Amino acid sequence: MRREHWISILMGLAFICLWEAWVRIAQPSALVLPAPSVIAQSLWQGLASGYLWPHILSSTRAVVLGLMLGGSVGFVGGIVLGESARLRGILMPYVVISQVVPKLALAPLFIVWFGFGTLPIVVMTALICFFPLLENTVTSLQHVDPQRLELFRMLRASRWQTLWRLKIRAGLPSIMAGVRVAVVLAWVGAVVAEFIGANKGLGALIIAAQGSMDTPLMFAVLVLITVLGLVFYKFAEWLERRLLQPPLDSQKKVEK
Amino acid sequence: MTRFLELDTVRYGYPGRSDVMLDVVQGVSLHIAPGAFHCLIGRSGCGKTTLLKLAAGLLQPQAGVIALQGVQVTGPNPDMGFVFQAPTLLDWLTVLDNVLLPIALHGKVETAQHQQAIELLQKLGLNGLQSRYPQQLSGGQQSRVAIARALITAPPILFMDEPFASLDAITRSELQQDFLTLCQSQGTSVLFITHDIAEAVYLADHVSVMQSGTICHQLAVDLPHPRQPALRYTADFNARCAELRLAMDGNL
Repeated sequence: MRREHWISILMGLAFICLWEAWVRIAQPSALVLPAPSVIAQSLWQGLASGYLWPHILSSTRAVVLGLMLGGSVGFVGGIVLGESARLRGILMPYVVISQVVPKLALAPLFIVWFGFGTLPIVVMTALICFFPLLENTVTSLQHVDPQRLELFRMLRASRWQTLWRLKIRAGLPSIMAGVRVAVVLAWVGAVVAEFIGANKGLGALIIAAQGSMDTPLMFAVLVLITVLGLVFYKFAEWLERRLLQPPLDSQKKVEK
Repeated sequence: MTRFLELDTVRYGYPGRSDVMLDVVQGVSLHIAPGAFHCLIGRSGCGKTTLLKLAAGLLQPQAGVIALQGVQVTGPNPDMGFVFQAPTLLDWLTVLDNVLLPIALHGKVETAQHQQAIELLQKLGLNGLQSRYPQQLSGGQQSRVAIARALITAPPILFMDEPFASLDAITRSELQQDFLTLCQSQGTSVLFITHDIAEAVYLADHVSVMQSGTICHQLAVDLPHPRQPALRYTADFNARCAELRLAMDGNL
């Protein structure tokens, strides 16, 4: 495990070194491909001068709000649809339609409805990340071991107890997998929504950098988005480990 | 004879094609005395599991009456314990919390009940395992936890659906022994399903053979209690096994 870790890091470093070397030898226009050192410099300047921070904050806030909104709608909706076969029959086609529609193409419409600013970006992010959670919650509620359900009936558990203590708990690994997907998609949603209708945020900054032909800044923002996405993903993983800890952590079989 | 659990001409069918009911249980009558160990044997698909679920109130009969202690059974009630074919433990709870689940679902668990659960685990040979998780236990130990969970509320009657079927022969006979001792000390009545003839004769006071939805043969097992493993090799024991085997083959 440790060894693979190091090989993985070395590969990344080798890639950056090759890139740097190639740019220095072939000397392509900085407009097309800036050297990693130039990108790093641009990133450092942006951070040190405080120029990047308002954009980082704005995007992060949009992602967090969008995740909370989309995540809770997805989770609660998933429970409702997972519990009621009738509602599932009525509403599921519309849920699927809402996902088949190219959501990013709705961004201009959202600007018309919600104006410029954070709101359309939050709504877009929420719309993108509610689906994986809803889908996974619905599926996991329907795939509870029938014998466990019979056990809960035999113990005269209420519907609420069966839902909370059995169905959701048993489905937690799959629900948390939905959260991980949602966290990644949330950044895609926010950045693309900012491309179209924002004057603040990392997505808007990429468009602005393109306008002023500042390719190193574009790359610097890309690096920032990647790092932030990674941080969010790692947080989701940590949350998953915490929630599922006792049984999975001590999985080594003890021989009788 | 005092009747404790009574099934009176119980019928149950699953809807088949074109509205024909496929009768799985066809007019079965069964009486179990208090504290008696009753085994129900039969081949796969003879309706024995359905009959057990009817008796436990998990299914409602389409005709006939089921009564426990003179009260009609309309659903699962607190006087019953049920052990499934698989241990069906919740793998996110410790062994102790699994055993206490029937109590935890209906209020706060008291210290005395905690103690009781630990004692029950000890009686079932699970000393010191109460804070383990189910996946850290062997199959036999998991079955023991499932039995402890069914017995924690000290129900007057226990329903068991082939609980030892997936265990190896030695583990199974150890478990049969411990289980029998425990039931007798608590005075629990048992309705026990199995397809293993020797298991039925060893455990039961009374065996009913089921075939395509009806009970085709009854046998009172008048072997002495407490039963010891050596009993399995006696002529008396084998004569009863042979009789049941003939009944299962439809030659009686």
